[in-house]
Amino acid sequence: MIKMLVFTEVFFFLSLIMAYVYMVYYGDTRSTKELQALHISTTSLFTLVLLGSSLTFYIAERNYLKGNIKQLKTWLIITIILGAIFLVGQGNEYYRLINEQITLGASIFGTNFFTLTGFHGFHVFVGLILISILLTMAFLGDFKDKNSTVIQTIGIYWHFVDAVWIVVFTIVYVLPLTLNA
Amino acid sequence: MDETIPAPFQNMLPAKVLNRDQKLLQWISSVDHKQIGIMYLLLSLLFLVIGGGEALLMRTQLAIPNNHFLSPEAYNQIFTMHGTTMVFLVAMPAIFGFGNYMVPLMIGANDMAFPRLNAFSFWITFFGGGLLYFSFLAGGGPDAGWFNYAPLNEYNYSSRQGIDYFAIGLLLSGIGSVGGSINFIVTILNFRAKGMRLNQVPLFVWMIFVNSFLILAAFPCLNAALAMIEMDRQFHAHFFNSASGGSALLWQHLFWLFGHPEVYIAMLPSFGIFSEVFQTFSRKPIFSYAIIASSSVAIALLSFGVWVHHMFAVGLGNTVNSFFAASSMLIAIPTGIKVFSWVATMYGGSIRFSIPMMFAIAFLIQFTFGGLTGVAFAIVPIDWQLTDTYFVVAHFHYMFVGGAVFGLFAGLFYWFPKMTGRMLDEKLGKWFFWLFTIGFNTTFLIQHVLGLVGMPRRVFTYPDLPGYGTMNFISTIGAFMMGIAAIVLVIAIMKSRKNGVVAGKDPWDAVTLEWYCDPSPDRKNFDKIPLVKSRRPLWDLKHPENPDWKSKIN
Amino acid sequence: MRFVTIFFLQSVLHSASTQAKEINKLFGIFTIAAVLLLLFVSSLIIYICIRFRDKPGNPIPVQIGKNNRIELLMFLFPTVMIAIFLVLTIRTINRVMKPARGQPDVIITGHQWWWEVYYPATGVTAANEIHLPVNRNLLIEFHSADVVHDWWVPEFGNKMDVVPGKNNHIWLNITNAGNYVGACSEFCGAEHAWMRIRVFAEEEPAYQTWLDANKKTASIPSDELAMRGMILFQSASCGSCHRISGTFSKANIGPDLSHIFSRTTMLSGMMPMNEKNLHAWISDPQLVKPDSKMPDFIFSRDSVNAIVHYLTQLK
Repeated sequence: MIKMLVFTEVFFFLSLIMAYVYMVYYGDTRSTKELQALHISTTSLFTLVLLGSSLTFYIAERNYLKGNIKQLKTWLIITIILGAIFLVGQGNEYYRLINEQITLGASIFGTNFFTLTGFHGFHVFVGLILISILLTMAFLGDFKDKNSTVIQTIGIYWHFVDAVWIVVFTIVYVLPLTLNA
Repeated sequence: MDETIPAPFQNMLPAKVLNRDQKLLQWISSVDHKQIGIMYLLLSLLFLVIGGGEALLMRTQLAIPNNHFLSPEAYNQIFTMHGTTMVFLVAMPAIFGFGNYMVPLMIGANDMAFPRLNAFSFWITFFGGGLLYFSFLAGGGPDAGWFNYAPLNEYNYSSRQGIDYFAIGLLLSGIGSVGGSINFIVTILNFRAKGMRLNQVPLFVWMIFVNSFLILAAFPCLNAALAMIEMDRQFHAHFFNSASGGSALLWQHLFWLFGHPEVYIAMLPSFGIFSEVFQTFSRKPIFSYAIIASSSVAIALLSFGVWVHHMFAVGLGNTVNSFFAASSMLIAIPTGIKVFSWVATMYGGSIRFSIPMMFAIAFLIQFTFGGLTGVAFAIVPIDWQLTDTYFVVAHFHYMFVGGAVFGLFAGLFYWFPKMTGRMLDEKLGKWFFWLFTIGFNTTFLIQHVLGLVGMPRRVFTYPDLPGYGTMNFISTIGAFMMGIAAIVLVIAIMKSRKNGVVAGKDPWDAVTLEWYCDPSPDRKNFDKIPLVKSRRPLWDLKHPENPDWKSKIN
Repeated sequence: MRFVTIFFLQSVLHSASTQAKEINKLFGIFTIAAVLLLLFVSSLIIYICIRFRDKPGNPIPVQIGKNNRIELLMFLFPTVMIAIFLVLTIRTINRVMKPARGQPDVIITGHQWWWEVYYPATGVTAANEIHLPVNRNLLIEFHSADVVHDWWVPEFGNKMDVVPGKNNHIWLNITNAGNYVGACSEFCGAEHAWMRIRVFAEEEPAYQTWLDANKKTASIPSDELAMRGMILFQSASCGSCHRISGTFSKANIGPDLSHIFSRTTMLSGMMPMNEKNLHAWISDPQLVKPDSKMPDFIFSRDSVNAIVHYLTQLK
């Protein structure tokens, strides 16, 4: 079921990405100046944090399957913290850009950048809510049995969100470096 | 006779009786696929009447040249809402209605995979539609057409909030469609009766299955476009404003990436219904199940490669136009093959002219006609002449009404006995059929000519050029015939619920599993079902001397 | 294609340009094929319904569900037809729509809800009613001042969208002189229905005459009433939307009025050009063409008379 949801969300992000690539890289107003305002160094760090959260979630899942509920809870908490750090990092990037007058309404770049990364961030946020629900369920003792598929299901969603970020990060942050070089 | 207990809910408490004491509350809180299916169908019927009313208003305004029955603002809102209503609030809910009721029955399941998601999907569709219509009370409905082109849909050209209600209402209903589709896919994959392979499901189930993937892939493109226009309108982003570097064409691309698959989303389930109807009322297996099934997959895949044929006159260049001409013509092949298959099903059969079958036969001719005008539009230079005229209005109504809606009517008459335990009134049904079919063809056949003499679409009035007035008037008469037919249908439904001829489990002598359970089943559809060995399990049961799995027809 | 043309004065099938002729050739071939196919399918269905109808005592039909040869045929036949039409289509596309080369002969700009016309070679600016020479390969370029519109005259063949931010073009070679009527063919807002097009296709001499007349600066008022009208025109800010050559007014938010009274219709084909209609329009624009951009100036009757009188002298 979650794979169907991932399927449909893939198309949504594809639409946003297509719009981004067309307008930022091929539009009449090539956004080279604004692209230079992006900080790839800090964002790379936060990217690693997000990818790390995928790993921690995976560890949590393995622990659940082995029956280590305490470890499950610990690693879920770490996952949430890492995810939250990522969002804080995104927020920081937004704050910086807005201070440099790059906003949603300022330019083509602003429009596309904030939309694409914003929807991704929103999906991360929803993911954090879902994982928090998982954590609550774990604390309420719902995962004593090893037969539940809930954790694995949420895991697929969370890994999907990370995979999307890898694509978005490449297109938004990495690609300009190759084009300018 | 091998009988197995259907999964899921093998452990389900008998809970045989739906709580009928609490009436409305029971319906509102129901998670039973049959009740949700009926609610979807009622929603669809309600909006069919509303959308039809909008059409009658339009046709009244267009009955004579230079008419002043409706102001341009009123007319533009009404034609926008007519299109939006029919596509999103009539076609989609009807598909989910029949799908919800019938798919579990046809695969021998006791409910959908996710009953609560099912209920949620219905209610958010309902409220999305409500929000869309609320716009009339909040300053006016959307008035930029159902495809809502940029930059007309931007805040500086459409300052009232109608467009916002359009965007958000559709985003909400879209969530319902996605939820419903996920439900269908998981149900069909996991809850088939024992022995029923995926290539043995009834063709209606198969169509719903393929359709669900189409919905999952197409609706996000619309959602992205709607999100973008709201960003433009509310936060002054620059997606579609060319003055600030945006692209008016980006909207068209995103919209039609959704829009073209959407028309197949509206059609495929009706293809499924007709496949069932042709099979049952010709007393023969459907001709080449494999072709009909595989061609729908081909159509689904190809439907994502043809969207520019809505944009041939936009100036994208000869190369692009040629490519999409090729792909659009290509998609005619799997569609045409289906028509031949249905005809071949009838050939050599023993045809009973029940009302569903009458709709099916009318459909064949109307759909062939509409399909041919569609091929005309794939021929780019012809499109350059006729797009955005009444010729294209005629074309797509032949497909939508003469195709998809006729399928829904066939499904209604076919499955009414299963849903209510009574037959839908035969005499009123015949009146309805003839009134509607003659009305429909009167309305739209002449619109082809109107397009050829140069009448553009979406005009609230027209000058008194030769022939325009007469032809429009004839079209209006046809529309009112359809309106009267609709009244007949509503009367027929209300009458048959109370006084219709009582039907048994299998009034049509059909061959698929839904006719095995009781009519209007209680909470649990099946206690036992036969082991499925072919595509026509009931045929096998009724003809043990000549079952499908023994002959080569499987 | 005359015998097919049961249609009236204007029609897609009355080709008046080389492009339209080319398109209608293909249309004709297609129509014949389509009609034949439709007849075949319909007669087959009717035959089947009669021959194989259910009669009491009918045996159960032979339960055949497939036939490889027929399936192959069902697939091959449409494929062959499509291949043929695809070739014809691509050929016609390239004959009708050629890439733009050189200076455009006419630049048409779509506004909500009127057409601005500019002839670069001579600098003539007009509105809504277009004069074009026959038997010349004309390059027509399209701009949009606001939303997406579409320029279409049925007898001329292909329509072309007018898209903001994009300059589209068509090549047009009109073969038959005459007066042609067209319409905006992309929904563009409230008064889309009244954004009609008129083309006067003329032989060279007549066309040159019209060009020369329009090149001239707008007439100076010849009597006192007209003079009052002109003064009102300038002082009441009509000039901030409407250009009149030789005066301070240079704007193109509304149609150019330098030769307004030489036009046969007004408000983009909505009504004939005469004093009465001009009077009604200026007195209460929103009553005549609701939602149009022209404000209601709440002039007195005398003022309207003066302005109308001035406009009637702008031939």
